[in-house]
Amino acid sequence: MFESIEEVRERLAEQDYVSDTRLATVVFLATRLNKPVLVEGPAGVGKTELAKSLAGAAGRDLIRLQCYEGLDEAKALYEWEYSKQLLYTQVLREKIGEVLKPAKDLSEAAEILRGQEDTFFSENFLVERPILQALRSEESSVLLIDEIDRADEEFEAFLLEFLSDFQVSIPEIGTVKAKAPPVVILTSNRTRELSEALKRRCLHLQLGYPSGDVELEIVRLKAPGIGEALSKELVNTIQGIRELDLRKAPSIGETLDWAQSLVVLNAKDLSKDLIESTISVIAKHDRDAEKMLDHLGVNAADTKHLGQTEPTGENPSEAMYEMHRSAHKHAR
Amino acid sequence: MDTVVNDFVQVLRDHRVRVSPAESIDALRALEQTGLGERGIVKDTLRATLVKNGEDVGTFDRLFDLFFSLRPVAEKPGARVRGHDHDHDHGPPPARLELGEESGGQKPEETEHTHDKDESTEMRKFFDEERMRPSNDVHGDAERMRLSMFSQELILNRKPGAMESALQRLTYHMRLRRSRNMFNPGGLVPNPGGEEIPLDVSAADLEGLIDHLHELEVDEAIVEQLEAQAENILKGLPELIKQMQERDKLLKKDAGDDSEVRRRALKKMLHFSASEQREMEAAVRRIARKIQGARTRRLKEDRTGRISVPHTLRHNVRYEGVPFDPVLRKRREGKPRVTLLCDVSLSTRNLSRFWLHMIYQMQSLFSKVRTFVFVADVAEVTQVLEEHDMNRAVDEIFSGRIIDADVNSDFGKAAGQFRDQFLPTINHRTTVVILGDGRNNGKWANTQALEEISQHARQVVWITPEPRWGWNLGSCDMPLYEAICDRVEVVRTVEQLGGVAEGLVKARA
Repeated sequence: MFESIEEVRERLAEQDYVSDTRLATVVFLATRLNKPVLVEGPAGVGKTELAKSLAGAAGRDLIRLQCYEGLDEAKALYEWEYSKQLLYTQVLREKIGEVLKPAKDLSEAAEILRGQEDTFFSENFLVERPILQALRSEESSVLLIDEIDRADEEFEAFLLEFLSDFQVSIPEIGTVKAKAPPVVILTSNRTRELSEALKRRCLHLQLGYPSGDVELEIVRLKAPGIGEALSKELVNTIQGIRELDLRKAPSIGETLDWAQSLVVLNAKDLSKDLIESTISVIAKHDRDAEKMLDHLGVNAADTKHLGQTEPTGENPSEAMYEMHRSAHKHAR
Repeated sequence: MDTVVNDFVQVLRDHRVRVSPAESIDALRALEQTGLGERGIVKDTLRATLVKNGEDVGTFDRLFDLFFSLRPVAEKPGARVRGHDHDHDHGPPPARLELGEESGGQKPEETEHTHDKDESTEMRKFFDEERMRPSNDVHGDAERMRLSMFSQELILNRKPGAMESALQRLTYHMRLRRSRNMFNPGGLVPNPGGEEIPLDVSAADLEGLIDHLHELEVDEAIVEQLEAQAENILKGLPELIKQMQERDKLLKKDAGDDSEVRRRALKKMLHFSASEQREMEAAVRRIARKIQGARTRRLKEDRTGRISVPHTLRHNVRYEGVPFDPVLRKRREGKPRVTLLCDVSLSTRNLSRFWLHMIYQMQSLFSKVRTFVFVADVAEVTQVLEEHDMNRAVDEIFSGRIIDADVNSDFGKAAGQFRDQFLPTINHRTTVVILGDGRNNGKWANTQALEEISQHARQVVWITPEPRWGWNLGSCDMPLYEAICDRVEVVRTVEQLGGVAEGLVKARA
């Protein structure tokens, strides 16, 4: 797919994806060794984007599997298409009657029917879900398994066979092996620790917040409308904000959102008023916004609350609320 | 190449980075693909294949820089050594060894060495990256000095195998001497000045080695050369060690006053070894499977469970009511809420250390775990446990920065403070777990505060390491507190603790 590490970088750059050698090395190895890549990092640093750009750079299809709690193989791998099966039985009713005609009694009819079972449990009635789709595609594709940490541990275990050998076993049909092994990219936000077994099968890539220069380049690429001076100011501000102790530090995604909103607002420079009115783009928590504004020297006294605050127990007035909720323990 | 990678993996393992054999094989295969041309790429490759935990990346970077940093420096800029194409040119051996620098280190000798930099980088061209042998790990047990790979190779090419054992004997002896002197077991406070390395002994070993070489009938010239080289290394050794010690001292000075030393001492006491940690993880996983929490009242769709007739009917209307697709529903297990109050005074420290580790693991299993520590004052450490990796969080808690951990424990005061500050955090769904021995050192028991806490909480469980018969001895207020708690458990082992954790939720279901 790629000849050298340098080529990976160039081709990704063509897709407007700014990478460093570290990332390019891992991607290169993944394509060469046919090993999945596990990308970890905070939200919004371009994990998903990597898979998209890689698919674009290599000219492959991107197949995406979004993970969530309760995801099972029926959603990830394959499913029998019951309605189609039913439709076929309805339409073929006469034919079935014909086939069953020579049968003298019920058990014989059942025997004949059993011989025809394969018709109804064939690949014809199989709904391909992302993983099977990636396995059976004629050309190697890019499979993105997004936010694997949200799926259950059982699902992780289920992935192991697929990740190490690029094959899955379907009870009714047998083992499906990949015609052309896909490039698999797993992403994780580290909401929980993944199992050792999964990690062992993957190449590991840790993505963090980019340096100022890289971020500037990204802003230039993705928000072209923004002026040179403003983009520099913006990136410097963001880099400064990341140093703060925040619940959710702004990531590249937020930087770009902010840049784009500034473009929309036709801003020339980052004035204090402008910061105050657009801070909600980069701050996702009330307290974070206050901290940022303090840091930037904008008076935060009259900032509006961005959302409902949950009782934290730090404010004594919340006590009443919780007391009320706790009701009477002994009355139950 | 594989031995070098294996050695490196070994060093990683020594520093508690878990690397499986499959991963080191991967690393080798990956290196075949990328080649060894560029240091940065080799590093990235090894990082991607060997390190799978975010916390270990720092360790890896540090070790990589140390491991692949000992460079032989030529005496004269023109001296060419062609070790690498095996043509036995007998060039002058590398005369001096240089300590690997940690990212621009604060060594005073730095200036003296900088003008050598060019030569040394030039030298590097003649050595494959993978031949750069590790020498010296400033930070730990893997302290070993080795002759440069180059010299080993010179001889090994003539007498394959024969030399290696001899050389390794040398390495072995030196390592032995060093490690015996590096640590003083039993002492809590490491004494940074007390490490002296008796070099004469090593020199004697070297003589023995050279005799051994003569016996082996290795080419005389090479032996001589090795002798000269080894002498050079040995001559340089005291200086190197002095440098190392000085740098260590500098590093320590930078790190701060004696609280740093104290912290380190504590670290020794509190740190879990990798295997302990693994055991713990497994134990917690086992326990987690057992506790799961109380069942919620609502049924949810699930892959397993009972067939729900109404849902199945509704769902299968599209198949003319033929139940093709049964809908299964099951009660989901709810996660219990736990508030943990942990006594970190000296008397229960061992158990609370364990408990904290356990809670650290469990934070994800319970829906809400809030952890407080107390001795006489109460402080919340939930954040600390969430933000840092396990060992650091525990260090932090015992370091005395959050609360003063060295006063006598005062349960009465702690309970009072908790009631005043944190009572709103508990409600009828919360289980309060108190870990402590109830030894109040004669202070006021303040049972009212605990009673109030108990009224707000679903249940209060007290875990004490002391058996019941001990409660009557000395100033123990356990009998007073027992009346208030829903349960008091005496816990002395992991299994018992697991049992309690299990009980926590069983009572709810």
